[in-house]
Amino acid sequence: MTRVVVIGGGLAGLMAAARLVDQGAEVTLVTFGIGGLQLSHGGFDVLGYTPERVDRPFDALDDFIAAHPDHPYARLGTQGVREGVAFACTFFGDLFVGNSERNWLLPTAVGALRPTYLASPTMIAADPRADHDPVVVVGLRQLKDFQADLIAGNLVKQQIPARAIVLDFPARIREADASGLTYARAMDRADYRADFADALRKQLSKGEKALIPAIVGHRTATAFTDLRDRLGSPLAEIPLPPPSVPGMRLNDYASRHLQDIRVRWILGSRVVAIHGHDRRASSVDVATSGHIIELKADAFVYAPGGFESGAISLDSYGKVLETHLGLPVQVPEGQLIGPDRTAEQPLFRSGLATDDHMRVLDQQNRPVFENLFAAGGVLAGAMRWSEKSGEGIAAASAVRAADAIGDLA
Amino acid sequence: MSTKKDPKSLTESERRQRDADRRKKVAVSQHGPKVLTLSLKEPDVFAAQQLNRASLDHCVKCTICETACPVLAVTPLFSGPKYVGPQAERFRHGESVDHSLDYCSSCGLCTLACPQGVNIAELNSMARAVMKADHMPIRDFLIGETVLMGKVMTPIAPIANAALANKPIRIAMEKIIGVHRDAPMPTAQSQSFVSWAKHHKRPAGPAPRGPVVFFHGCAGGYFEVQTSIHTVEVLEYLGFEVIVPTQGCCGLAQQSNGLFTQARKTVTKLCRQLRAAGQDLTIVSSSGSCAGMLKHEAHEIMGVDDPALIDVSTRTRETSEFLMELEDAGTLPHSFQRIDMTVPYHAPCQLKDQGMGMPAIRLLELIPGLKVVESGEGCCGIAGTYGLKKEKYDVAQAVGQVLFDMVIDTNPELAVCDTETCRWQISKSTGVPTVHPVSLIHRAYGLGD
Repeated sequence: MTRVVVIGGGLAGLMAAARLVDQGAEVTLVTFGIGGLQLSHGGFDVLGYTPERVDRPFDALDDFIAAHPDHPYARLGTQGVREGVAFACTFFGDLFVGNSERNWLLPTAVGALRPTYLASPTMIAADPRADHDPVVVVGLRQLKDFQADLIAGNLVKQQIPARAIVLDFPARIREADASGLTYARAMDRADYRADFADALRKQLSKGEKALIPAIVGHRTATAFTDLRDRLGSPLAEIPLPPPSVPGMRLNDYASRHLQDIRVRWILGSRVVAIHGHDRRASSVDVATSGHIIELKADAFVYAPGGFESGAISLDSYGKVLETHLGLPVQVPEGQLIGPDRTAEQPLFRSGLATDDHMRVLDQQNRPVFENLFAAGGVLAGAMRWSEKSGEGIAAASAVRAADAIGDLA
Repeated sequence: MSTKKDPKSLTESERRQRDADRRKKVAVSQHGPKVLTLSLKEPDVFAAQQLNRASLDHCVKCTICETACPVLAVTPLFSGPKYVGPQAERFRHGESVDHSLDYCSSCGLCTLACPQGVNIAELNSMARAVMKADHMPIRDFLIGETVLMGKVMTPIAPIANAALANKPIRIAMEKIIGVHRDAPMPTAQSQSFVSWAKHHKRPAGPAPRGPVVFFHGCAGGYFEVQTSIHTVEVLEYLGFEVIVPTQGCCGLAQQSNGLFTQARKTVTKLCRQLRAAGQDLTIVSSSGSCAGMLKHEAHEIMGVDDPALIDVSTRTRETSEFLMELEDAGTLPHSFQRIDMTVPYHAPCQLKDQGMGMPAIRLLELIPGLKVVESGEGCCGIAGTYGLKKEKYDVAQAVGQVLFDMVIDTNPELAVCDTETCRWQISKSTGVPTVHPVSLIHRAYGLGD
């Protein structure tokens, strides 16, 4: 049986582990802390801006790849991205809904319309192109980080009829400043949902669509449809800043499912070294409390995230480093940080270069190890946050790496 | 808690009612016990300060720690690890700015969950020690004296057990000392582990795998004697010579209660004792939390950098971890008898905090027929001594409730968990007998009676 160590617990690490288990591999996943998926908005981006807003990502990808030869999508190709999306759809099941190859346009917590390729089923009714229902944005006095009047005001500026209301409806006794997660835990209970529906129904007129913060249930999968049925009006969630309940639904499902199918899960320890010779990696060192353990494997998938996860960093001498294993970093030519802070900063395209199999390359474009693969945010060449391409890169590179490992065996 | 019903026979609507009643209870402030005014010196020594405060600036406010906190999930009395940790720490000049910090249970799940490497739990433990330094409840001294408890209770085990099961005595204990009347208590044994070990006959002939040191901990010495015996018998069956040096407490209970000065002394003394058993030997422990104290907590929370601790911490292995090292090296015999059973397994918070995954699951599933269902819950609520305290008892029960229901629903006959106080908490709250994984390995190797 092929033994694989996956490093990183974000979407790329989770997808790689899942794909490898499907192929019959024995997988150990090492993650320093909980992965970034739970901070996400609950959707799945493929391509949102080029910088023009994209309506059909798969129609735009060939041109995008031609314009960005160093982008991870150029390694993966349009077909590779499709395979990543297809695998994510299979893995997450009804946690994602597609829109017939089009991007959804969903309101954010400031009332902007954000493109995303797959969305949480609890959010799709918010797409303003779906109907012409007037919108009621519902704030909660005791919930932080959700300003209903700001959201409604910005929707009106985009020609969407909207008004704001604020309910005085605490998540639990004696708490004035609750997070979305505290609300979601209350919403897991049928009695709370019933009371909430009663309070909200009184404020809605016939034909209005309610947009509420993304708080409708953390662990109860049926909470959203139950609340919508009780309410009797169209209903959608708007994602909140972290703790993001829709992101947690995805992350909890994925990490729980992978542990249930016996991916060996090592949470809370850093990978500090990789060993090998003759361009073959043989083991990684994991610094658990007290001592180091050596994990031997036939292949390694490295998915530790990018700058935001601390895997890529810029030192005080201006040198860009990969912090955990000291792998060679591909850095853009020229000035890394420009004077215009609102413009693109080339620094953030730094990352690991790979071949088409996602094998990490050195400066001479040779694989560092024949069996060391990279996936997700650590890859060079992308501006995931402005392109809205993070999940597409993560899933497609993870699938490509896992399939390459399957071919090795 | 007037209507006590067997938790196994509650209907779904009774469970809901119980949870609703509890939500009201854990939302209102409760008064702690009387305090003593004592002067404790420097709980935040320079070493601990440096270690933990240096991690502050890594916090990106992602709130992942808050989602992992089991206390914040059940009560608004605690404002959460991010607020009392990296955020409040910036405003501290020796003084605590947020007294809800006392509701932190020190489970450590915040640090475990943090992807940026902030020592959240460690900062909070340090700050709590400072906050409590001049008004430490007398109770918090007493419940840290775990060895004393064992020494007093073992010779009079039947009386001690009867007393702890006696309602009027427990009510008096709650009123005078502040230990909740319904909190789980250890069961005194008429024979201590050390007394057993003295009379224990080692297998004849040489031990082909050489010596290992067994660290039993206070609970394993006086209360969970059976777990310690099972561990020794399994290790001997595998061909090890098991050395049991004279040993004291690891000081974890003192540390969790903010008694750093005492805890530092206790843990350093223990490390000297364990080293005396031999250099370079592996130290095996079936006390999941105490192993964590030696491996990392004493250093990371209290800044202990005594060479004896550093040496012992690198050699310490939890029992399941040790057996899986043998398995991964291909030297663990698979001569297991079949056990056709599904068991719920809960990895204690302080075991998870060791960052080694859950070796017990892989170990137990080597036994043919045995299926393990992992609880998926962070903490059982007890967190060492937290759930014993009268003002924290309801919070601790609320923390553990999903786990308790899961245990009852998975197998009402047997549950598995690696740490003593967590086993007491689970079995007291569910009525389900709860054992260390090594007890099932013991049985599967045919070493039982």
